[in-house]
Amino acid sequence: MTSAQADAPSPAAALSCRELSKSFGGVAAVNDASFDVTAGTVTALIGPNGAGKSTVVNLVSGFLAPDAGSVRLGEAAVTGWPSHRLARAGMIRTFQLSRELQGLTVLENLLVTPIGQAGESLFNIYFRPGLVRREERRHIERALSVLREYGLYEVRDNWARELSGGQKRLLELARAVMASPRLLLLDEPLAGVNPALIDQIGAHILRLKAAGVTVLMVEHNLGVVEQICDHVIVLAEGRTLATGLMSELRDNAEVVRAYLGGVLDARVDG
Amino acid sequence: MSPILYYGFTLLFFFAAYCVLGWGLNLQFGEAGILNFAYIAFVAVGAYITGVTSMGKPVAGSGQSYMFGARFPFPVSLLLGGAVSCLLALLVAFIAFRRLRSDYLAMVLISVSLVLYDVINNYVPLFDGADGLNTVPMPLSGVFHLNANSFLVFFAVAAVVIALIMWLVISRITRSPLGRTLRAIRDDPDVVSSLGKNVFRYQLTAMLIGAFYAGIGGGLIIEFSSSFNTSAWLPPETFLIFAALIIGGMRNNLGVVMGAFVVPVLFTQLPKFLPDIPGHPGLILNLEGAVIGTLLIVTLWFRPQGVIPERRRRFTGFLGGEDSAAPGTSSLMTKGAAQ
Repeated sequence: MTSAQADAPSPAAALSCRELSKSFGGVAAVNDASFDVTAGTVTALIGPNGAGKSTVVNLVSGFLAPDAGSVRLGEAAVTGWPSHRLARAGMIRTFQLSRELQGLTVLENLLVTPIGQAGESLFNIYFRPGLVRREERRHIERALSVLREYGLYEVRDNWARELSGGQKRLLELARAVMASPRLLLLDEPLAGVNPALIDQIGAHILRLKAAGVTVLMVEHNLGVVEQICDHVIVLAEGRTLATGLMSELRDNAEVVRAYLGGVLDARVDG
Repeated sequence: MSPILYYGFTLLFFFAAYCVLGWGLNLQFGEAGILNFAYIAFVAVGAYITGVTSMGKPVAGSGQSYMFGARFPFPVSLLLGGAVSCLLALLVAFIAFRRLRSDYLAMVLISVSLVLYDVINNYVPLFDGADGLNTVPMPLSGVFHLNANSFLVFFAVAAVVIALIMWLVISRITRSPLGRTLRAIRDDPDVVSSLGKNVFRYQLTAMLIGAFYAGIGGGLIIEFSSSFNTSAWLPPETFLIFAALIIGGMRNNLGVVMGAFVVPVLFTQLPKFLPDIPGHPGLILNLEGAVIGTLLIVTLWFRPQGVIPERRRRFTGFLGGEDSAAPGTSSLMTKGAAQ
């Protein structure tokens, strides 16, 4: 592949990053990372701890501004956009630790999501209550159907803080789905989740893909990555080390070294 | 007028005024999570502006000097107080909100309060310094031929009516999707931002409406007592309103009413009318802070959600069908159900 080809975003890319860099006090967390996420696929972002995965997610989703490099969302150049603007352009992210809105009920967590609600304008609240009520009814109906799909219907009126860890994971995903994203950025959606729920969340992700949503997920569980992801991007020390299918990457000595480096080196040395 | 009636209507007035102040702070802090430690400064700005826009031009040799000076009829000066308080909120928000969050924002806000206090206290041409405004006319007393006593009754009742209107206005907001988004921001602004909402815009809305309530509350107070000076809004006064919210029940406009009754009325205004304990003049007033502080600690320890806690919003009855357990009871948006 020539460098010119590598620099041009592929036409089918839902998201493409070029030479992203971000340093924190002299430590380069992300250093010239470049990758594409093909539309309609589930792509995993893997790498050892400290590889810069979460920083990449924060750079892409507008929670951090890159020191250098560019981000494109489909056709649009979105480098440095604030997170709320990116969300409106169709990119919704979740967080590594579940961040449910604790003081809201489960149903309200979903009802917060729709963008540009009529009932968020003071004018409509006082002068067009009928419009607000009709729209609210539509949102509630949709939220309840999403909650049914994600197995949270029974706890819809509970405070979100009362949910179990696994339910909070599901709520985080359901809330993102409620936003009807085109690109979903999942930061370790399976962290701290039991095996039965892992299968369930994996199935949800595949269903989203079937519905046309592009997914980029940071994940450590390589078994799951192999099962549900079309492509894998390997990040090490802030750089894109390799991209491809999981089965190809298993044979890539560099990738194995990055993941198991310490162990292998120790064996060689010993 | 018997002294008991005099006390009663004075307390009724302060009850109404502090309800208005409480709702404003509840919207900012309880709903939107803005730790506004400068709240009392917004109250003061409302009071001063209402004062100088109803007193007319300062009279030379009267010993009072203040800026502007106009004589607008009753509701105009009050609304101007609210409006200028909003302007101050706009200024503070644009300087501090974009970059700062929670703790740091609270520090900046308390500084704003201290700076404003020092400037107004020391720069006499503004609002007559520490002496403050003293000759604010009794609104509408000319129209209804009121004397000091009948004015007291009239204005206490007027304040209750105004408070009721402001209750209707604010409860529409807290029940609406806007209120829900504000509560979401209180819980986690990053999440709300990641869902495509401009957090700054919503916080600004809450800040402005809250400041308007502060300004109106302050304006009512200066019109009722015809005077207002810096001793009335020492920065710690902010915490009196915070205490009212926490004890009464935050995130619930009815809890705020309870808090406004307990803290500013029962434990701050009422003791002023109590006779001295023989041999200990002034003891009751000096105990005020200690009593409120104790009450706050006891509340946080035994009932942290306040006397009347936040309601959980259920959507039963909204859609009909299987969920309509109690049709006809749903309000504009949601049916609140006690937890």
